[in-house]
Amino acid sequence: MTNSISRQQDSGRSFGSWQRWVIVAIGVSVVLALPLIIKNTYYVQAVTLGLLFAYLALAWNIVGGMAGQLSFGHAIFFGIGAYTSTILFRDLELTPWIGMLVGGVLSGLIAMVLGYPTFRLRGAYFALATLAFGEIARAFVNNTNFLFGIEIRGSRGILVPLRGQAPLVYQFEDKRYFYYIILLLLVILIYSVYHLKRSKLGLYLSAIGDNEDAAVSLGVNASASKLKAFLISAFFTAVGGTFYAQLLHFVDAPSVFGGSVSLIVVLFATTGGPAYLLGPVVGTLLLMPIAEITRILLAGRFTGVHMVIYGLILVLVMRFMPRGVMFEAERLIEHWKRHSSSQVEPEQTLTSESQGVKHGTS
Amino acid sequence: MTTWLSVVVNGLFMGSFYGLVALGLGLIFGVMDIVNFAHGALLTVSMYVVYNLITLTGMDPYLAIIPTALVMYLVGTQLQRWLISPVLRREKDTAHLTIILLTSGLWWALQNGILFLFSANYYTADTPYSGEVFFIGEIPISVPRLIGFIGAIVIVAGLQWFLTYTDLGRALRATSQDREATRLMGIDDFKVYEFSFGLGTALVGVAACLLIPFYFVHPTVGDVFGVLAFIIVVLGGLGSTLGTFLGGLLIGLVEAIGSHIFSPYIARMLIFAIFIAVLMWRPSGLLGRRL
Repeated sequence: MTNSISRQQDSGRSFGSWQRWVIVAIGVSVVLALPLIIKNTYYVQAVTLGLLFAYLALAWNIVGGMAGQLSFGHAIFFGIGAYTSTILFRDLELTPWIGMLVGGVLSGLIAMVLGYPTFRLRGAYFALATLAFGEIARAFVNNTNFLFGIEIRGSRGILVPLRGQAPLVYQFEDKRYFYYIILLLLVILIYSVYHLKRSKLGLYLSAIGDNEDAAVSLGVNASASKLKAFLISAFFTAVGGTFYAQLLHFVDAPSVFGGSVSLIVVLFATTGGPAYLLGPVVGTLLLMPIAEITRILLAGRFTGVHMVIYGLILVLVMRFMPRGVMFEAERLIEHWKRHSSSQVEPEQTLTSESQGVKHGTS
Repeated sequence: MTTWLSVVVNGLFMGSFYGLVALGLGLIFGVMDIVNFAHGALLTVSMYVVYNLITLTGMDPYLAIIPTALVMYLVGTQLQRWLISPVLRREKDTAHLTIILLTSGLWWALQNGILFLFSANYYTADTPYSGEVFFIGEIPISVPRLIGFIGAIVIVAGLQWFLTYTDLGRALRATSQDREATRLMGIDDFKVYEFSFGLGTALVGVAACLLIPFYFVHPTVGDVFGVLAFIIVVLGGLGSTLGTFLGGLLIGLVEAIGSHIFSPYIARMLIFAIFIAVLMWRPSGLLGRRL
């Protein structure tokens, strides 16, 4: 949430570069082979949903973490994505591959409409306004049967018409395809956020996140930058919504417009470390299994238990490590490095510093 | 005509509770400039405290105000001391974001913890006042709602008096205006914070006692009041006790009249629409002095 600029770029710089590539290669092959190793469809689906939430948390983080604007209403965009592609497919036979983009653009437009009045408000007011918008959207969809003559079926929800194995309309008999699709979407999003962070807009956003008044006084157009971030975030979130609809073949207001989607995304992103590229992904990978484990251990008897744990985790994270797990991990690693190489440290620092100066002036 | 009058009366009665719950939120918001997302969940906790007090000891619900308010005051001061003050000490610019996240975590933990302990069943406390009605002309007046309405007015007046005329109240207002200057005057701002948070949650405890004779008890009961409380605080304007209470009455009226003409769902949408409109055009609130 803060200090995303002053943060060091990479903790693994002193690592041998070939060692890094080996680790990356092992990691990539494990991730790619995972659905082939675990045969159980239930677990494949659980891992797929985990990746979806990592994707959603990362998308939320563009506006929530980078720009420091806490949106408690991201389920709106998730829901729009899920409903738009599903309705277009049901009524017009338009493939969800295109419906996905239509939903994304529509979400982006809605984000502009919602963002324009609310971005003039600071901090708490923005969080309250998005919370209210999210609640309105959920109640509206839940209570509306027809919107502009389009049947959205209120609280009954919409079934995605089934076509069997039909890759052209985003349908696969084997659930493992969805694992690779969301993996691809996640990689695309990580790549986009990576470039966004290094762009002018990304720097504006982190300046706004650090101190909006200071950023504005230096000539940053805060409202425009926040609007752009909201638009990009909404677009990606909606694409995730379409994915969700294809995975589960069913959309209704509580599951896609529900407040819990909005809140869990906030939790995952902020716990992981909102200032880091992969913070939201790490947060999701750490926290998502808790819901699954409690579900298995308690056999579904106590439904709210994982939310109690999530709530307490959020309280403790905010109390003791508000910059998230990644920040603490990085600090631990640096602390450990300094201790393990304390004797050669001064010389190394000196050379690296003088090198830095040379690079800077030349 | 009589239906209309009873709709208005009911709206005002319900609105006084919304205002009462919002009062505590507004107090905390005004003094520390933080939003307590767990405010509604603390009302739920209070409701379960009162419910168990009444059913276990057979205590009169209005007598239960004293122990409930005390318990909730302690809960509030301890939350402030161990969770919120440390964040305010550590952070300056980002504290409000951290507090929003921290208190929303508290909200889920409390709400789902209650769900876990007491299940999702609806409870109603059987008190001597429940269901008592008398008539003014042809308008039915519910006794517990009337008592609650009067109680809310007494509390608002008392709070206003306390803030205006007592030393502690002055310290509280001074802290909300300029924390640094207040500290230079020898007032321990974090003591004032603890007291404010405690008072805010104690007010929620009082509201729970006034509510329980005629309202159901459920793990999500606080959500309705909590979300409305945010709206009312923004509507009434910061640092305005009277504004907050009037905001509550207004929301109660909109809800009652909207439900009568259209449906409860449309009434809800109307309230949100008012909220968005106020945020857009008058973010300092209808009676507010500053943003």
